[in-house]
Amino acid sequence: MKSLKSRNGLLCLAGLVLALLIPQIIDNNFYIDVLTLVLFSAFLGQSWNILGGYAGQFSFGGVVFFGTGAYASSILFRSFGIDPWIGIFGAIAAGAAMGAFIGFISFRYGLKGSYFALITLAFAEFFRIIANSVEFTGGGVGIFIDYNPSLTQLQFDNPAGYYYLALLMTVISLLIAWWLERSRFGASLVAIRENEEAAEALGVNAFRCKMYAICIAGAMGGAAGTFYTQKFLYLDPPIAYGIGTSVEMLLVTIVGGLGTIFGPLVGAFVLHSINEVARHYLEAPGLSMIVYGLILIGIVGFLPNGLIGLFRRRQKKMAGGDDA
Amino acid sequence: MTKKPTKSTISRRSFVAGTTAGAAVLATTSIGFPRMARAEDTVKIGLIHPVTGFLAFPGAQLRYGSELAIADINAAGGVKSMGGAKLEALLGDSQTKPQIGAAEVEKMHEAGVHAFSGCYQSAVGIAASAAAAKYNIPFSIDVGVSDTLVTRGLENVFRMMDGYGRIAKDAATNLGLINKAAGSPAKTVVIVHEESLFGTGTAKLMGDYLPEQGLEVVEVIKHANPTRNFDNIALRIKSMNPDIVMPINYPGEYVLLARTLRQQRVDFAASYSVLGGGFNFKFVQEMTDLAENMIDVNHWYDPNSAFGQELRRRVEADGKFFTMEIYTAYNSIRLLHDAFERAATTAPEAVNAALASSTMDPLFMPYGPTRMVNGQNMGSRAVAIQAQNGDVQLISPTEFASAEAVFPRPKV
Repeated sequence: MKSLKSRNGLLCLAGLVLALLIPQIIDNNFYIDVLTLVLFSAFLGQSWNILGGYAGQFSFGGVVFFGTGAYASSILFRSFGIDPWIGIFGAIAAGAAMGAFIGFISFRYGLKGSYFALITLAFAEFFRIIANSVEFTGGGVGIFIDYNPSLTQLQFDNPAGYYYLALLMTVISLLIAWWLERSRFGASLVAIRENEEAAEALGVNAFRCKMYAICIAGAMGGAAGTFYTQKFLYLDPPIAYGIGTSVEMLLVTIVGGLGTIFGPLVGAFVLHSINEVARHYLEAPGLSMIVYGLILIGIVGFLPNGLIGLFRRRQKKMAGGDDA
Repeated sequence: MTKKPTKSTISRRSFVAGTTAGAAVLATTSIGFPRMARAEDTVKIGLIHPVTGFLAFPGAQLRYGSELAIADINAAGGVKSMGGAKLEALLGDSQTKPQIGAAEVEKMHEAGVHAFSGCYQSAVGIAASAAAAKYNIPFSIDVGVSDTLVTRGLENVFRMMDGYGRIAKDAATNLGLINKAAGSPAKTVVIVHEESLFGTGTAKLMGDYLPEQGLEVVEVIKHANPTRNFDNIALRIKSMNPDIVMPINYPGEYVLLARTLRQQRVDFAASYSVLGGGFNFKFVQEMTDLAENMIDVNHWYDPNSAFGQELRRRVEADGKFFTMEIYTAYNSIRLLHDAFERAATTAPEAVNAALASSTMDPLFMPYGPTRMVNGQNMGSRAVAIQAQNGDVQLISPTEFASAEAVFPRPKV
């Protein structure tokens, strides 16, 4: 068992070194850009995974944190001239505050399961309408970020710059998940996921733990919002609070493996790869999406524990074989 | 002897493993899939449009118009100053998402693209043209109404058609002229617009310009994309009893709103849309009664142009509708071709300089010669068109008009 752990540790280290070297190995900006989107999806997925995967609080409106963070740093930048490097901390704070707000309202009144999922969806829609209606968000016109590639603007004239930023964020998200799996707090979240009443009977403060979890998820979502606006230079209410991003967040996690460290990363990599390959080989409009959907149905239908679950099953089988 | 059916050798487990492995193999083998430049005698044009998603119809029309222009240019000898180099289309689908549009730029850059044309949605155009700016690759906006596209100081971005700033001004002026010519029967306007940049930005400008024409905006109603039920909005409009209803929205919502207003028996002097996404030959020919006398302000071909008439005949013979997207895409490719012809090279700096100094004949559009100011063609202008007897007539400005305006419309 110890050798298995050290082997996994070595694999992680090798993966990180490989990830750091990728822009030097692959002389193709398209792949760097696709990998950046994979890492970005993985980071968003991990923010959902902490609340949905570890704490068992499924949300249909995870995008609300992303949108709030995106607006926070964009408004700080456009209206107050605050650089995105500082703005990203504003976005993290705004995302966490949004998490605290939604969490307090939901958990204080005991919303769980499908009720919690629906209230998060309602909040996302509520904030989309608000963002559409008020002036300081630019309303339906949205917010434009000037194209000005420089490190201080968190804009890069080379896709590798965005790749490294996304990689840094993903590594941080993996470390958070790794810490969760080894901490008392993480164990409390898992206990709440499995049986909240039993966990409380054992002395776990479920309300407090869930509040911490939603704040962490919110903070991560906020950081992702800053990354998005500085890369794509435009933000409007459908981008900020649209349901598509919420679906992507939960999809990469479910496909990869709920409540696992690498689930969102694996899910994001597989889903983006399938999407890109389908788009490349199937030029008839829409056909690539049909194939993508069919493969997705196959994965979700046949792998209830995600791809990581499949990997673990194999690993267990191999370990069992070794013992014999 | 009957042969016993053979049990499938593929178990569920191996199917799962196979699917996963297949995905991984595909992902791995995909390294290197962008098409490499095959020959130096082609000029590659990247076409980025929303050919899937809720904007698939206009996206497909834009792709068709672009490919039609490329075929015509190649049939006429390609880029003659480059030894007859042929134009080659690289096809991209933005899926209506800015991040996908930007990713298509990176993909096509690796495939050796020399210029881009796209993207219909301003948000996608903003992200994609900024991605192209990193390599200084020329980017021609075929449709994209936000003026931010050409006011960001990017030297590689050019737009043949107007943005909503000038279109809104033209739309208000034309409405003022039509109203005055009829004895000013219209006094009030209700604006119904979609919620994104296009609808919101245009509606805001119309709210500023219409009072200058003696028209009061009594209500501005915003709706989501997509909206599939306009009953409440129609009833709200009915309660306002405006003289003019002004839709500013995408194709599906445009048609649905028109149908609901008819169903709810809302009476008004005219439906006067600005860049009405659904006002085209498809709408006018398929829903003739509903469309009759509706007015739109948009980019439209010159009905007196022999080339325009011939192009329309060809497009319709091909089973397509001759929509605005086809003209703008066709001209966007012509603009790029003209620049390559004059630059006699694919070097981005030279092509961008040629685009900036373009004085191209608009051919079948009611424009003057192209005149670029910071990437915006100041020679273009939108016109007012009206559905009349199952066809579309240009009603303003008068020098290009093919019919007189029916205003106010007869009671339905």
